[in-house]
Order: sequence, then structure tokens, then C-alpha cells
Amino acid sequence: MDEKERNVLVVGGGIGGITAALELASCGISVTMLEEGPSIGGRMIQLDKTFPTLDCSTCTLSPKMVEVALQQKIDLLSWAKPMAVKKKGRGFTVTILKKARYVDMKKCTACGVCSEGCPVVMKSEFNMGTGPRKAIYIPFPQAIPNKASIDRREERLCKAACMDACPINTNVPGYLKHISEGRFAEAYKLIRATNPFPSVCGRVCYAPCERVCNRGQLDEPLAIRDLKRFAVDSFDITALEVAQVQKTDRKVAVIGAGPAGLACAHDLALEGHDVTVYEALPEAGGMLRYAIPEYRLPKDEVRNEIDYIRRLGVDIRCGVEIGGQTAADEIKGANEAIFVATGAPKGLPLGVDGETLSGVVDGIRFLRGVNNGEHTLPGAQVAVVGGGNTAVDCARTAKRLGSESVRIVYRRTREEMPAADEEIEALLHEGIEIDFLAAPVRFLGEGGKVAKMECVRMELGEPDESGRRRPVAKAGSEFSIPVDCVITALGQAVQTSFLESIGLAMGKGATITIDPSTGATNIEGVFAGGDVVTGPAYVVDAIAAGKTAARSISAYLKGEMPTGEAQRGEPQKLSVEELGVLTGRIRAQHRIAMPEEPVGERISDFREVGLGYPSEEAMAEAARCLAGQAEGCIQCGECERRCEVKAIDHMMKDEIVDMDFDGIVLAPGFDLYDPTEKKELGYGTLEGVITGIEFERVCSVTGPTGGDILLNGKEPKRFYFIQCVGSRDRQSGARYCSRVCCMYTAKHASIVRDRIKGAEIYISYIDVRAYGKGYEEFYKTTQENGTFYIRGIPGEVVKGKDGLLVRVEDMLSGELREIEVDLVVLATGVRPRKGIEALCEMMSLERDEYGFIKVDAIAPSKTNVEGIFVCGMGSGPKDVPDTVASGGEAASRCMEYIAKDIFS
Amino acid sequence: MAEQSATRVLTCIQCGKCTGSCPESGKTPFNVRMLVRKKQFQSVVDEALPWYCTSCGACTIRCPRDVKPSEVIIELRSKLVEDGDIPVAIQKALENTFVQKNPWGRSRNKRADWVQKLDFEVPHVSETQSKRLLFVCCIQAYDPRCMVIPVNVARLFQAGGMEFGILGEEEACCGNEIRRIGESGLFEELQEENLAAFQEYGVKEIVALSPHCMNVLKKEYGDNTGIKVSHYTELLAPMIKSGALSLPGSFEKKVIYHDPCFLGKQNNVFDEPRDMLKAVPGLELLEFSRSREVSLCCEGGGGRMFFEVEATYQRNAEVRVLDAVEKGAEIIATACPFCVMTLEDPATEKGLVVKELSEILTEVL
Repeated sequence: MDEKERNVLVVGGGIGGITAALELASCGISVTMLEEGPSIGGRMIQLDKTFPTLDCSTCTLSPKMVEVALQQKIDLLSWAKPMAVKKKGRGFTVTILKKARYVDMKKCTACGVCSEGCPVVMKSEFNMGTGPRKAIYIPFPQAIPNKASIDRREERLCKAACMDACPINTNVPGYLKHISEGRFAEAYKLIRATNPFPSVCGRVCYAPCERVCNRGQLDEPLAIRDLKRFAVDSFDITALEVAQVQKTDRKVAVIGAGPAGLACAHDLALEGHDVTVYEALPEAGGMLRYAIPEYRLPKDEVRNEIDYIRRLGVDIRCGVEIGGQTAADEIKGANEAIFVATGAPKGLPLGVDGETLSGVVDGIRFLRGVNNGEHTLPGAQVAVVGGGNTAVDCARTAKRLGSESVRIVYRRTREEMPAADEEIEALLHEGIEIDFLAAPVRFLGEGGKVAKMECVRMELGEPDESGRRRPVAKAGSEFSIPVDCVITALGQAVQTSFLESIGLAMGKGATITIDPSTGATNIEGVFAGGDVVTGPAYVVDAIAAGKTAARSISAYLKGEMPTGEAQRGEPQKLSVEELGVLTGRIRAQHRIAMPEEPVGERISDFREVGLGYPSEEAMAEAARCLAGQAEGCIQCGECERRCEVKAIDHMMKDEIVDMDFDGIVLAPGFDLYDPTEKKELGYGTLEGVITGIEFERVCSVTGPTGGDILLNGKEPKRFYFIQCVGSRDRQSGARYCSRVCCMYTAKHASIVRDRIKGAEIYISYIDVRAYGKGYEEFYKTTQENGTFYIRGIPGEVVKGKDGLLVRVEDMLSGELREIEVDLVVLATGVRPRKGIEALCEMMSLERDEYGFIKVDAIAPSKTNVEGIFVCGMGSGPKDVPDTVASGGEAASRCMEYIAKDIFS
Repeated sequence: MAEQSATRVLTCIQCGKCTGSCPESGKTPFNVRMLVRKKQFQSVVDEALPWYCTSCGACTIRCPRDVKPSEVIIELRSKLVEDGDIPVAIQKALENTFVQKNPWGRSRNKRADWVQKLDFEVPHVSETQSKRLLFVCCIQAYDPRCMVIPVNVARLFQAGGMEFGILGEEEACCGNEIRRIGESGLFEELQEENLAAFQEYGVKEIVALSPHCMNVLKKEYGDNTGIKVSHYTELLAPMIKSGALSLPGSFEKKVIYHDPCFLGKQNNVFDEPRDMLKAVPGLELLEFSRSREVSLCCEGGGGRMFFEVEATYQRNAEVRVLDAVEKGAEIIATACPFCVMTLEDPATEKGLVVKELSEILTEVL
């Protein structure tokens, strides 16, 4: 050959294409190989063993696949296929579509962490649907290229605003997808991956996600919080495994065992650090333990979550008040970093006369007492002052303690009430009144005990700095309420005086000043977060602050600059156009509400109000999630979050390129007949009827059962193989013999004989085609090893008493046999590969009556187009050795063709 | 059709799929595959054998080489009919059909007597606007057990506002069984007579009450009749679904549905009968172990209604009833008069009731 570089395109990465490509490359020709799927290997890599030698198919083929990857002359393009072909001189210009795989192949290390976390479960094509795979996946361990790719088929139907709204960016679409498909434990673990308090957030989170849920624009938002609770309820946290982490021996102290402090401790422990948490109160949990009432958040739930954090190795020391310089110094001395999360534990005084009377109590202190087990009647006539969640909690708690009348006095209107809407609803439901636009001006007592609350009517004036309209007292509107108990719930303050001495910078209301993206204070090694920084806020905000601080502390301990995590964008709404498209596709469906205890029963004690979903309802509600309805990848970003090398790129686009080639070798491969239409055989309707290629996957060590032949987890003992299904069959349009089924069935029988002791094996045949060396011998050995060959094809497979009943005429004896078995394997015939029609059309190739590519009778790789060659099953049924031979033939014919111009 | 099967016979690869599919295999001396083999060589066939075939069609539907074994059986029978080597009962049925246009030899002018059981008039098809003909079927016109079927369907159609007419005495046997017995000459005569009537009265649509009639009218009366043929369930099911026919009553029974071969496997009407049963308030629908495409033949077809084969083997109808008992059914429902007739005896013995679909629907009307 001359010096000019020659380029050949090989289409198809099965054993035929691989052989042709390697042959061509070994002769110095540059080969571009297109594989439509994620990996080369074709059908052969799906086989467990090859006949007649019973060699492991993977062991035989994977070295060849690796050779393709290593061969400098071969450029392998997976997820690629030809779109158009034009003649150019003696060669061709081929337009190639390279589908986006959404994973940077240069960065991906095939570690598999992405697939582990992916919540989208699909049927594995490699396993012929006998097992699952994820939307981001590597089809099998020996895949070439051994890189992940994402199966994304359409854009997500919504904006996943829920994730953007969540302070800890919970993968809401992911866990809803899991729940909707019945994978409850997976849902729990996915939630757990970013949230150390799922059971708390599943009950008392203010659910900012639901407020922005895009489905809400259509009908009603998803019940995201209640579904989280469902996932939590269906999982036993005591059975949750403790992750094994490498210890770093770095010491960190956390002050305050509320949600912020514990979340921080949790994440630090997972990084391998030694964490000690100091808590002033007798039990850990902060407001979760001492403020939120039992009927909203059972304390056992909180204890279980905290116990898990203890199991992670966190040392939580309760009843230890960190007061004064010495203690603070001590802690600082023994630890390399400190996280301050002491919360906002102090109730604010009302500042009116009579507040010191007996019977006037601070709300936070009141709740703490009740949560400590002091179930004493606060009074017969209780007034709660305030409009926040604490006020509502106090009122509902008083009701449960038996107070005759409970009312809330609030100085603004319902609109301005900061308490959660549903809490207010529940409160009204429970018969508690709210006196709006009223404020106490003094308390009057009798014998040192409060007896009357004097109030004044308010009206709303100009908005104040909080944006709410400021209440102004109406002159002369005084009125009084008889009370024997007043609970004040006007907000909480932080207690940071003990930290002033160490020079911590403070802001408004003595809250600690931090860098919000990292949680760092002005003192090196001291971090802070939660209510002590923000003033009273929500649980999930505190958890977020704890997690941010943990990240920063970890970085700090490694000597790195703590940097904040890239924030997700603002939650987005669906546009009018997007909504229009959706209303055509999505049927309106109301939110399914979580059942609750009836009011009459629940107010007599502290039983939990919400009852949790039954499974079917949870699945139905979760299935309403718009994101989960996308086919394939739902773009939840879980892979992106987990990938350590940042290889995920959701912005990738399909590419179309034109390339020139001197010749083309086609190795399109084949499909297998789908026997669903042969109703009498029960494929698709009877359990235990599968195809040969499916059986191949079930037997394979890379298959769904790791090579154990199992049917519903049980080992079948009685096997029936039926040959010629969809071959030699005028009805299904294939009068030809598929050439491989007799032998692969004998192989299947041998595999069963080898692996299952005492197996009963039958093979139905018309005539056994075992031509050539080694084949007939293999067939005979299979018979000798105890396989019953029955001449006669079963008329039908039906349900039997204890398995599948096969009705067959044993022609050699003339008897009709009814044989009961556990597994029926259909030896389905060969069909032209789906898409071969389009391929032939674009290349002007002729096909035979069955759709295989027509070839020259005495040059069996030559097509009707000069310069285009075919090998393998593309031109008709062949076994592996024949396919390999035809690959070599096609390569040499192609070389002959592209070398011709040297001589002309 | 005979010509086609003669050439097809030579392509038979003797795979035995027909025998494995046949409801008579094993328990009787009948072996379809063997008979096809003998046909290949034109060897002598024991004259009793071809009469076992119930013409359920499973062999022909499933044959990978499209040999149409059930047609081969008809050819073998034709030869016997020609030679006069046929059972007396069959002979009688053929004669009756020749004379009275029904295999039972009942008087032709009594063919429309069943309408007397109705409290409304049924018009002649020529007087209808739709020219929709209710094709009644011989057994349903004369047999006291089956006569309720046209009566019920007429009531249901009337209630659902579906216009229809009949041919009355002018209706002749459809010939489905006659052709399968092998008497092609008589079949052609019946076909001509019926077609002439259809043409004369401008029939546009035929609603057959028996799947056997539907089969022959739809598939064997020629492609160019221009008449739409369906089974009555194909009309009733949509009427129930759309609400045109409401079923206010209640039928609190466990009902198992038996697919007739001529309705199910031969004409793919599987869902309409089931949809109808599911629409009946209170009814719990059960399925046989063998249902739909693999439903077990009741052995009433192919001329088997007119004579008993000489054998003491277990009848399929009994197998069917035993399965129904095991599934906990109280009632066996079906949509074919022959199935009703064959299933009823063994069912009664086991304390089960056999009902044609229209009987159940009429009860809740």
C-alpha cells in the first residue's frame, strides 16, 4: 500500500465488527467504529457460554474488546450511528450522530457511585429486562468504553423548584420517584443522604418545597413533607447501618445539641472526626426535644435520630453548661474547632404590669415543662399571647392538658400570623379561639395569682421593618378577659453573654455574626449557626447551618480555605406555555391527604395527630410528581452531587459530524424473535416462560442473579426447552432456520445439568441441526448426560397444578405427553436488527425477503454497493465462529477495495 | 381452500404442534399430525378417525408451516361423505338440513316461533332502517334450552335502543357445521340461499347470535358481500360502556367465563364478553386455568353436536367443570349455544349452573 492514510468505517461493535476493525487496524488502516449503544460487545457479551466448547463468553470476548480500546488505530464512538451516507470518489462521506452521554468521558472513572444514588430504575437492556439498571449506568462491568452515561429521553416536565427551595436541597423528585414505584427503603436512604433528621423534617418542616411545587400551578402541590414521613415510617432506623469511615483523630466540639449542632456533629462524624457535643439540658435535641409538642413530634422519633448520631461515634454530653471564660477556654484548648449552636432558648418578656404574677408563664418554659413530663393543668381559663408557632403549640398543649377554655390573643390579623397555616387550621379545628387585633396591657391578680388580663383593641397602621403592618392601639378600646393562666409566646432571644469574653463578634440582639456561606466567625476555628445566628427560625434552616459549618470545619481541619457550596438557583415557576403543554399531558388529580386522628379523640392526650399514609396512597400521591413522569433521567442531580470528579454535564448536546471514509464495513448484528404473539406458549402471560437470551442472562455471572439460576428467588428443578420458536415458521414470516438455536439449547441443557443437581431437562425439537466438528458430539454428550430429547413441538403451555403444563406429542412413541415443569425456555429465532431498514436505505443496499442485507453468493461480504461490506448476522443467521470468519472476510474484501486505487 | 391445503400438506415438517394443540389428542385415537402425514401419501385412513375433530381450529392457528390441518380433516371427511361412509346421525343431520334447512329437521315455518316470547314486535329486516339483521341460528331457533338466547338478546337490544330485524322463516342454516362435516355441496347451497336473502332485503349488517354462524358468515361467505358481520357481544359491550344500556340490577355470584373456540381463538373476541360481565353489578369474574387463546374446547363443534363419538374417555366439558369448581365458581358463563349444551350436563352434576351471557344480562336489566 502507498503512504496515504486509509480510513474505514465499521458500523456495529459486536464480535463481527470487532473482528473486522481489529483486522483492518492491524494492517495500518484507521478505523472509526460506531456503536449505537453504550458499549461494544454485541450479543456475544450477553451470552453466558459459547457452544460447543462451553467457554465463558465474557472471558473469550472481553480481551478483544479491550484490544479495540487500546488499539491506536481504532477510534471508538459509542452512542453513535450513521445518519446519512454520500458517495465521494471511491469513498464515502458519512454523517454521524453522536448522542450526548451527559458524562465527561475524560473525567469518569467508572467508580459507580452515580448509579448507586440514581433514583431512576429502568430495565437493563443488557440483561434483556431480567434485571434493573439505573438511568445513569455502565451496562456491565466489562463494558468498553467503561464509562457511565445517562439515559435521558426527554426534558423534565417541571422545574424541580422544590429542590431549589429546600435549604438542604433535598432530592425531592428522587425520593418521590422511589416511593411512587414502591422502593420505600431506597427513598429513605436518599433522604438520609442529605438530611440527618428525616423523621423530624417529615413531621414538622415548614415545607418551603410545597409552596413552590410546580404541580401547584396545575392543581395542587405534592404532599412532600408527609411523603417524607411515609418513607421514614416504613424504615427501621435502628437497622440503619453505620457507615465505616476512616478516623482522622481530629477533635471538634459542638456547643448545643439542637438540630444545628447535631446536624453538624453528624456530618463531621461521617468525615471521620472526633466530635463532642455539649448540651446544657438533661437530654439532647434542643427545641425538637423541649419545645415542639409530642402530638406533632413524638420524642421517641427524636431519640432514635439522636441515637443514630451516637452510633456514628459522636459523644453527646448532656447537663453540661458551658459558662464563663474557663469552660470556653478548656473546650477550645482540647479541640481544634468549635461549632457554636446554642439556639435561642430564652423567652422574651411582654413588658407589661403584672407579668410576675403567679399564673403568667413564658411559653418556651411552659412547653419545656410539659415535654419534661409535667402534665399539670395550667389553668381552667388560659390565654396565650402571641401569633407564632410557639403560641399555637402552647394553646393546643393547654387544651390537651384539660384547660376548659383556651384562647389566643394576637395583636394583628390572621394574615400576619407567622404560625404555619395548617397549624392554625388544626388549632381552630380543636376548638381554640383566636382573638385578633388585641394586645394585653396589664395583668391583674388576686392573692398573687393572675385573675384578669386587660387588653386593648388594635388596628393596623403602616408596615414596619418586617414588612407587616404595625398594630396601633385604638384609644378607649380597653376590655378585659378573666383568666387564671397566661402563656406568653412573643418570640425568643439568644444567650451569648458567656461568649463575649472570648471576643466573638455579635450583631443585632446579641446574635453571633458569621460569614453565611461558611459559618465562620471572626475567631479562627470557631464556627456558629442556627438560631444563635439567625434568631428563632425553622428546623431545616438550623440543619442547613449545621451542615454548612460541618463542610467548612472539615475543610478548615484539612488546612483548606472553607468555601461555601455552590448554591442552587432560585425556585422557578413554569411558564404559561409550559403549563399549556402539561395540561394536555397530565390529568388533573387532587392531592391525597395524609389521614389524621379525629379531633374528638386526639385532644384528650398527646397522641400524634398525623397518622401517616398507607402504602398505596403514598405511592399514588408520589406518582403525581411531575419530575418523576419523565421517561429516563429525571435530572434530579443526585449523580452530580455524588460524583467526586465532577464528570456529570447535563448541558451536553447531541453532535452531528461529517467524516470521510475509503470503505465501510457493516456489522449491524441481529435481534431475537419476540414470541409474545404465540399466545399458546404463554410468553408474557405465564410466569416461568422466558426466551433463550433471557435464560442466558439468568445463567450469567454478570446477570441479575450473579449466575444463580433462579425463578422468583427459587431454584427451578424441571426445565423444558422448546426449539424453532419463530424459525422455520411461515406464520411469523421466517421460513429460514436460525442456525444457532439447536446448539444454544443443547448448551443451556448442559449448563443446567452442570449447575442444578437432579434437574429434569426436556428439549422439544423437530430435527437437531448439529453439523460439523464438535457439534454433533456436543449434542450427543448433552443427551448422554440425561437430557430428554422429545421429537415434537408442544402445542401449548398452560398453567398446571404445580407449575407449567407442556402438552406435546412425543412423535417417536406416538404418545401425547403432558409434562409439568418449572421453567419453559423458548429458543427464539434470529431476526434482522431493528433499524437495518433505515441503514440499508441510507446506503442504497438491497435486502432479501426477510430483511437481511443481500450479499454476493461467492463473496459473502460483498453488498450491491461497491465499497460497502457486511459481516455477521447482518446478512443472515450465523454462529460465533462463522461471524468471526465473516468479519475477517469483510475486512480483507474492504482492504482489497481501498488498495485498488494504488494500482489504477 | 381444498386446493390450497393439498399443496400445503407436502410442506408439513411433522413438528407435532397440531397434535400438541388438539383437544382430542392423547385421550382418543385421534392424531392430527398422523392424519396429515397419511394425507401426504394418500394412505388409507380409518374411517372413524376424522369424526373426532371438533374444528376448534387450534392446529390451524398454531401450525408454523400454515398447513391448515383442520382443513385437511375436512378433506378427509369430504371423501367419506362422498363415499357414504359416515355415521348415521351425521347422515340424518345432512338430510334434515337439506330438507328443512336445519340439522334437527324441525319444520322450517316454525323458525321464528321464538319471537312469541317477546312482548314487542320484531320487524322483518327489510322493514328496518338500519338493515341490521339478527342471525338467529338453528339451535337457538328451535331448541327449548337455547331459544332464550335470541329472546334475551332481542330484549337487550330493544332496551339499549339498537334497531334490528330478522329473516324469520327465510333464514337457512348458516352451514358452518355442514362445511366442517365435509358436505361442501350442501354448504354452497345454504350459502347461496342466505346470500340471496341478504341481497334481496338489502342487509347491511349481520349480528350473529352464535359464534359458529358469525365465523362462517364473516370468513367463508366470500369477501365481497359488503356486509359487516359481528357477534352480538361486540355490539352489546360498547352499548354498556357508553351507558346506552344500563344494568341497574345486581348479580352477586362468582362467574367463570368459558371462551368459545369460534368466538375466541378463531375470531379474537376475548374482551367484549369479559367487559360485559365486569359491568354487571355484584358479579365476581373468575378465569379458568386455561382461558382466552388456550381455552379448552367443549367438543361441541365440527358436527360433534349431532352425534356421539364411540369412546368412554373423559369429556372436556367435564374437565372444564372440574376446573370451574376448583376456582370456586358458582356459574359458568359462555357465549355459544353449543358450549351451553355440552357444559350443562356435567355442570348440573356438580351443582353448577351454565348461563349464556345474555341470560345474566337480562337478569340485571
